[in-house]
Amino acid sequence: MSEFLQHLINMLVLGGTYALLGIGLTLIFGIMNVVNFTHGVLYTFGAYIMFIVVQQLGLNFFLALPVAVVAGWLLGAVIELTLLRPLRGSDIDTTMLVMIGAWIAMQSATLWIWGGVAKSVATPFPEAPLVLGPVSVSWLRLFVLAAAALLIVVTYLLINRTKLGCAMRATFQDQDTASLMGVNVDLIYTSTFAIGSSLAAAAGALLGPVYVIFPQMGDLAAVKAFAIVILGGLGNITGAVIGGFILALAEELGAGYISSGYRDAMGFLIIIAVLIFKPTGLFARSERVG
Amino acid sequence: MLEIRDIVCGYGGVTALRGISLQVKAGQLVALIGANGAGKSTTLRAISGLVPLRSGQMLFDGKDMTAARPPRVLASGIAHCPEGRRVFPHMTVEENLDMGAYLRSDPSGIAADRDRIFTEFPRLAERRRQAAGTLSGGEQQMLAIGRALMSRPRLIMFDEPSLGLAPNIVERTFAIIRGIRDAGTTVLLVEQNAFAALEMCDQAYLIESGRIVLSGVGAELIANEHVRKAYLGG
Repeated sequence: MSEFLQHLINMLVLGGTYALLGIGLTLIFGIMNVVNFTHGVLYTFGAYIMFIVVQQLGLNFFLALPVAVVAGWLLGAVIELTLLRPLRGSDIDTTMLVMIGAWIAMQSATLWIWGGVAKSVATPFPEAPLVLGPVSVSWLRLFVLAAAALLIVVTYLLINRTKLGCAMRATFQDQDTASLMGVNVDLIYTSTFAIGSSLAAAAGALLGPVYVIFPQMGDLAAVKAFAIVILGGLGNITGAVIGGFILALAEELGAGYISSGYRDAMGFLIIIAVLIFKPTGLFARSERVG
Repeated sequence: MLEIRDIVCGYGGVTALRGISLQVKAGQLVALIGANGAGKSTTLRAISGLVPLRSGQMLFDGKDMTAARPPRVLASGIAHCPEGRRVFPHMTVEENLDMGAYLRSDPSGIAADRDRIFTEFPRLAERRRQAAGTLSGGEQQMLAIGRALMSRPRLIMFDEPSLGLAPNIVERTFAIIRGIRDAGTTVLLVEQNAFAALEMCDQAYLIESGRIVLSGVGAELIANEHVRKAYLGG
């Protein structure tokens, strides 16, 4: 029983960051229809920003997270402006190829700048974990969960309660009509891609210090993000959050009760199962943003 | 108020408008009639900036709006109620109305206008938190009109407002449009129901194959032999 509780705690921590990855990708892939192969690189990028700010510049750990979010936002905006905007209206294959190219180029740049050796980030949290009866959880992981939860709530409010969010939803439901309402559609595309990218960077910045940071760390994260988006239904924010936690639960239980070697296979198994049994995702179409 | 001269535009290799010129005077209800595919909707889309012009000129209140994109056209005071209503289906009635006021930044004025629309259309008030896609066709038309009014336009363009609606709702829609003109807002109406449009308008233009072939006051067009034969069924 205590082992199961421990898995649940771990699931919450992992699920929070998976939800961030999933929301970010569901905005870009589910709503903008861009098969975004750079999502994983943005995750890696967020982790390296953490490394730069904390290890190389020696600045505060808690400052590094907002820096990573802003840097992810900026890099996302640059990718949208330089690569996607000129390709607006071209077919999905072309965009996909360009995004694959961007993924390879950016990953190689990471390797070139920081080398292939894994880095770790020192955290200000005590070594001793918080022990709650039969389960224990490190302070760092608790912080990761809290920060992810905060970002999820902020994103939800941004999309559902603000004028920008309203314009985003209108644009992706009916672009021409949104523009007749006065919405600058180009700006909405850039903002949406930038927001999605900043969430991927945030997830990387949060999980980077938990594990280690290396140039290919984003590849698996990107695959998991796609699994979460497919699980939750394209464009469905709530679905992405729940999907993130379901994937984390499957990984925890798979690793705990089947074999730890199967942990990362769970995402693929989920994609296969969902595509066979419920290809529209587990949650209602009515929850879609766009 | 609005003047377009020799507008030419199209989609890809197809030329939809081959030199359209028309004038809308302040306070008038101007009808643009013609067959399917003649270029009526494209004319409105060109005025709104949704379709770029290949040549020609557009003036609104004397200001050159020839290359203006939709947000600038709307900001200058021209609202466009598009064909097929095009409400945002997954957004609530209230959010749809707020989108109509997207360019405004006076929260109290927006709230007052929204309340006025809810008073005029009580069905919308009852459904204010419901997704617009769940409304009936008639309710969606009222919402689309309300949304266009939320920008406080000086000129409002309606594209086929009667399309696909039950006869009693069509009657109601036309009454609302006349009411908008009577309240002082200029109207440019595109309508396939030529007789209704000619009857209610002050000035009318007939468009055929991307060209204006006839213009005049409504009664003149109703009396015209060609219009009677081709558009009024005898």
